[in-house]
Amino acid sequence: MPVLDPVITKKNAPKVLMLGWEFPPVINGGLGVACHDLCIALAKHANVTMIIPKSNPDFVVKNLDLIGLNTIDAKTLRNIGHADSYKKIKNVHFILSDLNPYYNQPNGYGSHALNMESQYIKKVQIGNDSFDIFHIDDLYGGDVIEKVTVFGQLAAKLAHSLDFDIIHAHDWMTMIAGMEIKRQTGKPLVVHIHSLEIDRGGIHSKGWVYQIEKKGMEDADVLMPVSDFTGNIIREHYHIPGHKIHTVHNGIRPVTPFKSEKLLKEKMVLFVGRLTRQKGPEYFVEIAERVLQFNKDVRFVMAGTGEYFNQLLIKAAQKGIAHRFHLTGFLNLEKVRTLLSMADVYIMPSVSEPFGLSAVEAVQFGIPVVISKQSGVSEVLKGALKFDYWDIDRAAEYILSLVGNDVLAEKVREDAFVDLEHISWDIAASRVLEGYQKYELIPELTINN
Amino acid sequence: MPSVCFYFQVHQPFRIKRYSFFDIGKDHFYEDDEKNRWILDKVSEKCYLKTNRKILELINRHKGKFKVSYSISGVAIEQMEIHRPDVLQSFIDLSKTGCVEFLSETYYHSLSFIYSKDEFKRQVELHKAKIKQYFDQTPKVFRNTELIYNNELASYIENLGYKGILCEGVDRILGERTPNFLYKPAGTLKIKAMLKNYSLSDDIAFRFSDRNWAEWPLNADTYASWVHKIAGNGEVLNLFMDYETFGEHQWEETGIFDFLDHLPKAIMTHPDFDFKMVSEAIDTFKTRDIYDVPEFISWADAERDLSAWLSNPMEQEAAKRIYKLEEKVLATGNKDLIDVWGKLQTSDHFYYMCTKFWSDGDVHKYFSPYDSPYDAYIYYMNALADFETTIEDAQAKPAVKKRVVKKKATV
Repeated sequence: MPVLDPVITKKNAPKVLMLGWEFPPVINGGLGVACHDLCIALAKHANVTMIIPKSNPDFVVKNLDLIGLNTIDAKTLRNIGHADSYKKIKNVHFILSDLNPYYNQPNGYGSHALNMESQYIKKVQIGNDSFDIFHIDDLYGGDVIEKVTVFGQLAAKLAHSLDFDIIHAHDWMTMIAGMEIKRQTGKPLVVHIHSLEIDRGGIHSKGWVYQIEKKGMEDADVLMPVSDFTGNIIREHYHIPGHKIHTVHNGIRPVTPFKSEKLLKEKMVLFVGRLTRQKGPEYFVEIAERVLQFNKDVRFVMAGTGEYFNQLLIKAAQKGIAHRFHLTGFLNLEKVRTLLSMADVYIMPSVSEPFGLSAVEAVQFGIPVVISKQSGVSEVLKGALKFDYWDIDRAAEYILSLVGNDVLAEKVREDAFVDLEHISWDIAASRVLEGYQKYELIPELTINN
Repeated sequence: MPSVCFYFQVHQPFRIKRYSFFDIGKDHFYEDDEKNRWILDKVSEKCYLKTNRKILELINRHKGKFKVSYSISGVAIEQMEIHRPDVLQSFIDLSKTGCVEFLSETYYHSLSFIYSKDEFKRQVELHKAKIKQYFDQTPKVFRNTELIYNNELASYIENLGYKGILCEGVDRILGERTPNFLYKPAGTLKIKAMLKNYSLSDDIAFRFSDRNWAEWPLNADTYASWVHKIAGNGEVLNLFMDYETFGEHQWEETGIFDFLDHLPKAIMTHPDFDFKMVSEAIDTFKTRDIYDVPEFISWADAERDLSAWLSNPMEQEAAKRIYKLEEKVLATGNKDLIDVWGKLQTSDHFYYMCTKFWSDGDVHKYFSPYDSPYDAYIYYMNALADFETTIEDAQAKPAVKKRVVKKKATV
């Protein structure tokens, strides 16, 4: 895929108002990184303004106009012209507390009228003035629906002061904001889909997050899922017509891979991810058992933590494979990379994986990967062995073949390196721009030279 | 007076099933019986029966002036014997017209010439016997699997007594020359080479139904006018293609059968043009130059070399392993095992392992019964692992007996 280069002149570049939730340095899972890296790449071709719930004022991104609602003070608001509208936002305080990877869905709907009365708005008296303050402790805990609603309201008000052609929201947390801004300004709405409730909770998961997603995607002019796999879920489980869907595969940050000395003589099969239903960790145990029936010289390592931790531990013990099955618990990036530098096979048995950047990271480290077909990354990795997540035998067969046949392992590794050339945020950004043009959200792009 | 030589390739491999690691040692049958039968049925209905009927009709209509040549692999004939005797019969009917010639090839449609001359020769003989059995012809002209060819092959084939050999007309070897003459293979004495005109062949085989092609839709008169252009600079036009072009690769709806129906007449409207079987062309025309092919060429993929089968380490490893068994397999003297070994040599198995993802990958994928080249390799290697142990077992038995006999003799 061609990367738009040289860049569009900033003068006629599209003006994009991005709405994000997680963002570095407040990172949570892959969403923050993905938003950040996509924005940076897109900012080479477009004027990007990004509104997020909170940012670190010291964190500056080149070419990117980053507005954390926490960083806006009364003075700023007065200066942007619609001072009256923004009296309610003054100074926002944040206390970082436990950041759950994903919000646990409560039962049914909460009460969340679209007004500005909210536990997340606090009245603060400064001198003779009284200000409402947007105040959230963490991005996912508490009454999230109220948080996203308040975020939407505040972002919409802020949007009146900004000049933009396109609203580009990311996932359900910013969809209310996106819809609200679209309603108030009439600007087209693009919704980028990194993950869906159906992925996280299964196909019967149709609570209020699902409802927001469905409404948001119906309202959107264009949907940009991170894979065709996710695009299909959008069509099948949200009943959104396919003509609105424009897939933008994720990119990846280049890394400098390294190799570490192996601690054990056995071959190592590695799983990295949250131990939740979506990642299929229990299949990993089954696969390990099957492999060990035929080859005792293999160790299985699971890096990550989550609600399945205990039951996986027990399951491995019950199957009598605990001596070859290791659960590391949560590991930081450095430790994960150390594991990647030692592993012989990487496996991702995800049940529903919109993309699966971790598999690409394994490829960067030169590990042959075995991945479920129910993943977006399987669309961009030709150099990979692919199985249906329930097909234990097939996955076991692939692992046995890779650990037993160097020719195969080397070939898969080599082919995947070629695939890496086609996975980058610059390519993703050009796909986004192609989408803007294809759906006529912006005039024909003028490209220099 | 230029002649047009049609040669159609008929081949169906015995595809290997998803032979799992867990089957090794338990299951000694590797063929995907169901799939092989299903594909043969499909191709029989869409292509073989219909096209054979059309060819027969054309031969009759033109009172023997329309002639064609076929090469049918041994494994294809064998599958017809088992599942589609009606198709085999329709080829037999064609053979009785006197206007149809059958070529020689390796029984298993294999890469054996590259790995073992002895095995190659064995397969050529097997195939020859099969052709004689059904079509009462002894082939005089040879074509190797997918037109894999070099100077050495031409010499070898000449020594086996053939008068002609077919190969690809490759630009990098021809240079400014046209493929439309007979050539003398470098290093040979009498044998003549017939070179495929890939441009005119591919117009039918690949581009016929391509709506993005400037010449679409192609009709017989237009095509005949291109054929007629070789008059004055060519004596023989070799149109070589897979028989499945008719009805299978190019569906009936594309008009391919109408095209075929009108083509002989359209070509023969020019009084200088006729159709010949390959042996007739070889008897009629002289060689005009030398075709010097030190490295292997073929008709496959853009590269037209061996890369469709042997460009990656998986293919090379698999091929090396299967041919390494030669001595052991033959030593068993077990006809069935030798046959299984032959079937594992069929070139298609290696073709499915090809990983030219970014160039001709799609063509390979179209033909492959597997999800990926890795699967093709894994299943093949699993089956091979089982076959190797089977051979070991079979070999162990007679070997033990021999030793006993020896011992007795020395006592």
